[in-house]
Formats: sequence, structure tokens, C-alpha cells
Amino acid sequence: MNVIIGLINGMIAAATPILLAALGGTLTYYAGIFNIAMEGMMLSGAFFAVLGSYYFHSWIVGILFGVLGAILIALIFIFFSISLKVDEFVTGVGLNLFAVGLTTYLLRQIFKVKGAFTNPGIVSIPKIHIPLIEDIPVLGKILSGQNLVVYIALIATIFITWLVFKSRFGLRLRAAGYNSTCLDTSGVSSNAIRFRSLILCGILCGFAGSFLSLGYVTLFTENMSAGRGWISLAAVILVSGNPVGIALVSLLFGFADGLGLFLQQSLPSQFTSMVPYVATLMALFVYSIRKKKKEAIS
Amino acid sequence: MTDVITMDHIVKVFPPNVVALNNVSVTFREGEIHAVVGENGAGKTTLMKILYGMQEANSGKIFLKGSQVHFNKPGEAISSGIGMVHQEILLIPEYSVWENVILGVEPTGYFGKIDQQKSRQKVKQQIDEFQFHLDPDARVEEISVAARQKVEILKLLYRNVSFLILDEPTSVLTPQEIPQLFDELRRMRDNGRTIVYISHHLEEVLELSDRITVLRKGSKIDTIESSAATKKSLAQMMVGREVIFESIRKTARTGNIVFDMSGLDYSFPQKRPILQNIQIQVREGEIVGIAGVEGNGQLEVVRIIMGLLKPDHGKIEIQGKDFTHASILERREKISFVSQDRANMGSCLNATISENIIMTHHRLNKRFSKWNGIVLNKSQIRIFSEEVRKSFDIQMDSTEAEIKSLSGGNQQKTILGRELSLDTPFLLLDQPTRGLDVGSIEYVHEHILQMRDDAHAILLLSADLEELFRLSDRILVLHRGKIVANLKTEQTSIEEVGYLMLEGGAQ
Ligand SMILES: Nc1ncnc2c1ncn2[C@@H]1O[C@H](COP(=O)(O)OP(=O)(O)OP(=O)(O)O)[C@@H](O)[C@H]1O
Ligand SMILES: [Mg+2]
Repeated sequence: MNVIIGLINGMIAAATPILLAALGGTLTYYAGIFNIAMEGMMLSGAFFAVLGSYYFHSWIVGILFGVLGAILIALIFIFFSISLKVDEFVTGVGLNLFAVGLTTYLLRQIFKVKGAFTNPGIVSIPKIHIPLIEDIPVLGKILSGQNLVVYIALIATIFITWLVFKSRFGLRLRAAGYNSTCLDTSGVSSNAIRFRSLILCGILCGFAGSFLSLGYVTLFTENMSAGRGWISLAAVILVSGNPVGIALVSLLFGFADGLGLFLQQSLPSQFTSMVPYVATLMALFVYSIRKKKKEAIS
Repeated sequence: MTDVITMDHIVKVFPPNVVALNNVSVTFREGEIHAVVGENGAGKTTLMKILYGMQEANSGKIFLKGSQVHFNKPGEAISSGIGMVHQEILLIPEYSVWENVILGVEPTGYFGKIDQQKSRQKVKQQIDEFQFHLDPDARVEEISVAARQKVEILKLLYRNVSFLILDEPTSVLTPQEIPQLFDELRRMRDNGRTIVYISHHLEEVLELSDRITVLRKGSKIDTIESSAATKKSLAQMMVGREVIFESIRKTARTGNIVFDMSGLDYSFPQKRPILQNIQIQVREGEIVGIAGVEGNGQLEVVRIIMGLLKPDHGKIEIQGKDFTHASILERREKISFVSQDRANMGSCLNATISENIIMTHHRLNKRFSKWNGIVLNKSQIRIFSEEVRKSFDIQMDSTEAEIKSLSGGNQQKTILGRELSLDTPFLLLDQPTRGLDVGSIEYVHEHILQMRDDAHAILLLSADLEELFRLSDRILVLHRGKIVANLKTEQTSIEEVGYLMLEGGAQ
């Protein structure tokens, strides 16, 4: 029994950063931005979260720094793709590489270490124990006692669903993606909508990154996002942006991740760490087939 | 009547040296329908885009009810009560009618939540008020083009716009839908709104408008009362010479059958029959016209001829050879094709004008390549582009500009120039003169008739019955996917064809 509960909790933990980043990605997806910079935003978020937490001895400041670190990447993205109209794909690839370089450099400059920084001074994000629910047999161990960010991700899923489909912002957001000229001539600047969607994406990726370095584990390693941003992109594309679908796909990827760890006992780790990339490839493959079918119909 | 908008000495130059508007001054009054006419590229769309804040004038002033205004973007024009319906329809197909209408001015509740009930109710109320007969919940991609245009107008009315600009609104409508639009426009005028109406259909303009402003090559010629104008006088003002509206068709001297389509069936998806037992024969030196209300199978006939759809049964022969399963390139060796969809099928908007002009030619004509077809022959391409530009009088700055910088009508002329100079035995022309001015139409008609006299076989589809009667030797009527009549033009009338289009056969 405990093994299964452990597996489920592992799946939830692995799914959380993917889910958060993918929710950010879904906003930019609806806004019609080909945003692949979630990876970079998450990594930057993870680094600055550790930085904030270590120097201020507070996980709250940690999250705040993490969010700001991710927003930094989002702002650069905005500057290049919206203001200078550089190709979004090129900008995204560049930023992902930049985030790796930046965090690695700062890691060595600020903490004077190579590879990983771990220190008892880093305050991690607490787990939340919910009274009463905690005491339910079996389920209690899943519903309660998760990291705070896991609950935030859950609330974010509901909130983003509402935001995209029920709010004024959502109507304009989707309009920006479907036909931005139409939105512009309706008197709403589509660039302003894109700007906001990218900032929101940055915030969500900041939470994802903070969870990686202050929740999942309490340390920062070079390139610790390890392809999770790419997986979140695949998740968005697979379900065409539907937030609930994203939550399910994230759990599935979380499961694959857990499976990868589990398989590490029998397979070389080089193979098991391929899982995220293979999953992304498969998602893109499905996407291209669906797109072809759609074009054939219309 | 009071003046609402005055545009004063507007100048617009597109770099490097296209003078689109040269000191144009015009005044629009309250409660009038004011038509703006002029040749392709005369500057009609540009003038209106400047008023609407979509383009910046180089100099000139705009006054709204006496005080000077300047709109940097459409949003500002809208909040001053000015709205524009564009030459191309701008809506979000995935959204419902009411969502499209409220976009940008959404009624909201707490935390920016859209108040669905209130929105729908307000939209519904407006639909009823103007008798638009629309379902507010229908998705825009599922409604007809005419209905979409109503949604565009509704969108403006919802924003309390009192000054409406409509750029060629009838070019996408079927003849049956036009009177309805006119009624709606008159009703809006009688409510005190001002309507600016751009069109190439001079009869429509004369019937609908109170005053008419004529532009020619970027300059204003005059603003006149409609009651004082005739079709002939308007055309003369527009083009600067007399335009002949009568048919100039010589008697046909027909030869062998060139195009032969027989027993053709098509259904989609598998069950619903769209075309049934279509027979079409076109001989050398003959123009066959197809009449029909839009959506009765014309689109499918065209697509099947071009190999874009596979028929269920039936055969297509060109000059005795079976073309039913021919590749597109094989077809293009025998068929010139003007598509009604000029932006997607007829041209590549991001390519240059000369690239658009030599498309297909570059595969069929050795003249345009060197080194066994590996390299394009630039100098020949330039010479040929210039030829086409001259003979079709395409108003452009340079053949190296992107085709999307041309006015709508000049894009159409570019496509016509390419296709009509392919010199294939068979021509398929689908709405060839859509968006052209009267002078250009006259020229294109002459050209088409000349090709007929030179023994080409021509199949013509047109929503404009006058055009069909002017050009065709025979007229086929397509009704619910069947050809219900095959008439000699001399022996029928517009009334008879109109009746057959609506009612089908003689039942
Ligand atoms: N974005 C642009 N760049 C360069 N030239 C342009 C641009 N837009 C319009 N022009 C030129 O300005 C002139 C006026 O164009 P405009 O679209 O106003 O004509 P129009 O009267 O609306 O013609 P049509 O009846 O064919 O629609 C044309 O010569 C056109 O080529
Ligand atoms: Mg125009």
C-alpha cells in the first residue's frame, strides 16, 4: 500500500512543475504566440528562488525571487518578439540557451560552486497539512501533506480555465490568437494582450521553477529544469491548450517520469532521461498529423 | 443638414513615390448615404483608412463636427462614433455572433467576468431593432457571407457608431441579398446615421446614395447629387473617357468540342449529393456561362475541374484526352484559371508582383528559364511583367513590390493578366471581374471576347447576371447541384434565368 501511495505522490510531485509551466504556455498558446521559452523561464525561476531563499532565509522571498527571475526571461522575450518582431522560435531557442548560461555563470560567481549548490541555509517551501482530511485513511496521505505549490497548481488550473473561457481577458486573449487584426480593429491592442499573457506565463513558470529548487528538492543544479519546459510545451500542444487536459497530460508525464526513475534500477540512466524528449517528439508528431487532417477538411 | 466629418486637403504618399491621395477634400453630412466611386487604385480605401485611424496621412486635417480630430488607431475612431466594415470581412470564425459583437466592449461583472446573459440580450435586442434575422448563438464560421457582413455592421451599431464606412460590401453578396442590405442601410440613415459607401456597381450607387464623390488617380473630381447623375456620366467622370456598356459580342463561329464534362456526380461527405449528373460542353470560339445562386454547386464544379476535388463518377475530357485524373500541372497546360478567391488561390500575397505574374508560366514556358530550367531568366521575367502591367493597366509602383500593396482591383488585374496570357485552349473564369472598376471591366470583357474569337473555349461563372449575358453564348443554370437549363443567350432573358436560379426546373 505504501508503495502505491509513494508512487502516486511521486507522480503528483513530478507533474506539478510541468502543469504550472504548461498553464503559462496555454495562455501564450491562445494568444497566438509560439512560445517555447518556458524551459528558460523555469530554470531562471529555480535559480533565483534558491538565491532569495538562501539570502533572506525565507521561502516566501524565495518564491518572489523565483517569479521575478522567470519574469525577467519573459520580458526579454517580449522585447525581442513583440517590440523588435524577431521570430518567436529563434527568440525562444536563444532564451533557453541564455537561461542555462546565465544560471550556470551566476551559480559559479555567487556561490562559488560547480554543478550544484546545496546548503542548510536554503529554506524550502513547506508542506501543508490539512486537518481532518489528513486523518482519512489512504486518501488522507495523498490529499493532505503535499507541498504548498501543489495546491497552488491545483487552484491555478481552475483559475486559468475560468480566465480563458469566462473572463473578458480570455475572450480577448483567444481573439488575439485567432485573428489579431480583428482584435486590433475592435479597439483592443493585441500586443498588449500578448504582453500580459507572457507576463502571466512568466509568473506561472516562476512558481514551477521555485517548486523545482525549493520543493521537489532543496538545492540548485545546473540545467535543473531538464527538459520539463519542453514537456509542458508538448502538453499544451497535445490538448490544444485545454487547461483540464493539460492537468491530465501533466499527470501522465509525471507518471512517465516516475517510471523513468523506477526503470533506472534496470536501465542505464541515459535511456531513462530520454523519456521527456521522446514524449515531446511524439506529441509534436500527433500535432502535425492532426493539423494536416484539419487542413484537408477545410 | 449639418456636416459631420470634413476631410481637408488630405495627402497620402506611399514610399517611395506612389501618390495615393493628392489634396483630397470631402465633406460628409449627417443622415446621408454618401457613395465614393473611382477606378481601381483611385485611393478610396486609403482615404477611408486614414479617416478610421488605420493609416497616417502625410498632410491634411480631419474635422469632426467642426473640431479638429486625429485618430491614431481604429479604437479612437470607434469611440468618436466612426466605424468601418472592410473590403475583407474581419471576424473571428470560432466565436459566436454575440461574442464577435461584444469583443472589445464586453459587459462584465465581478473580476472581469463576462456577463453572458446581458451581452446576449443586448445583441438580441439590436438584431431585432434592425431586423437582421440573425441567431446570436450561431458560430460565425457556420453562417453565410451575407450574415457575416451583418455581424460586422451589428458590431459597429453595438458601439453606438453613428458614422459607418462600408468598403465594397456587395462584392461578397449574392444578388438576392443586396436589396435586403440596402433596406437595412436606408433604415440606418433614416435613424440619423451617416453611411459612406464604396462600390464599383454604378447602378447600386445611383439607387442607394444621396450624394456621390468621384475620385480619379488620387484626386477628387467632384461631389454631386445622385439625382443629377447617370451611369454614363459617372463612368465618364471616373475614367475620364466614355465607357460603352452595350454588348460588343460578334456572332460566334464555333469549332470542335474542347471541354467535355459528362455524367459527373459528387457528394459530401459520401451521403449528401452536391452535384448530380453534370454535363458541360464548351466548343472552340464559345463562351458558356454558368448561372446560379451561390452554394448550388459552382464551387465544387470549379474545384473538380482544377483537380482539387475528386468526383464520385463522371469524366472530364479536354481536346479528346481524358483529364479526370490528371495532375494539376497537366491541367494547367490546358486550363487558364481565374479563381474567385484571389487572396488564397489566385495569388501569393507575400510574393512580389512579378513572381505572381510568372507563376505557372515559369513551368510551362521555356522563355523564363535558362540552363535547362535550373535558373530563372530574370530579364525575360521583367519584360513579360512589364507587358502584362501595360496591357492590363495595373496601377503599381514597381513589379518588385509585394502584391498585397496593390489595391484590391489591381490585384485582380494582375491575376487576370497572368491567366489570360497563358494562351491555353480552355479558360475557366470564376468571377473574373470581381472588384474591378467599370473601365477595367470593359477592357477585360473585350479581352475575353477577343480570346473567344481566337477560338479559345471559355467557361464563365459569375454572380453578375449582366456580365453573364454580355459575354456568354449559352447559359447553363445550376440549381441544387443539377443543371436545370441550357439556354441560348439570345433566346432568354435575365428574368427567366433569375427565375430558374431560384426555382429550378420548369416544375
Ligand atoms: N500598403 C501600401 N503600400 C504601397 N502602396 C499602397 C498601399 N496601399 C495602397 N497602395 C497604393 O495606393 C493606391 C490607392 O489604393 P487604394 O487601395 O486606396 O485603391 P482603391 O480605390 O480602394 O482601389 P480598389 O477599387 O481596387 O479597391 C494604389 O495605387 C495602391 O497600389
Ligand atoms: Mg479598395
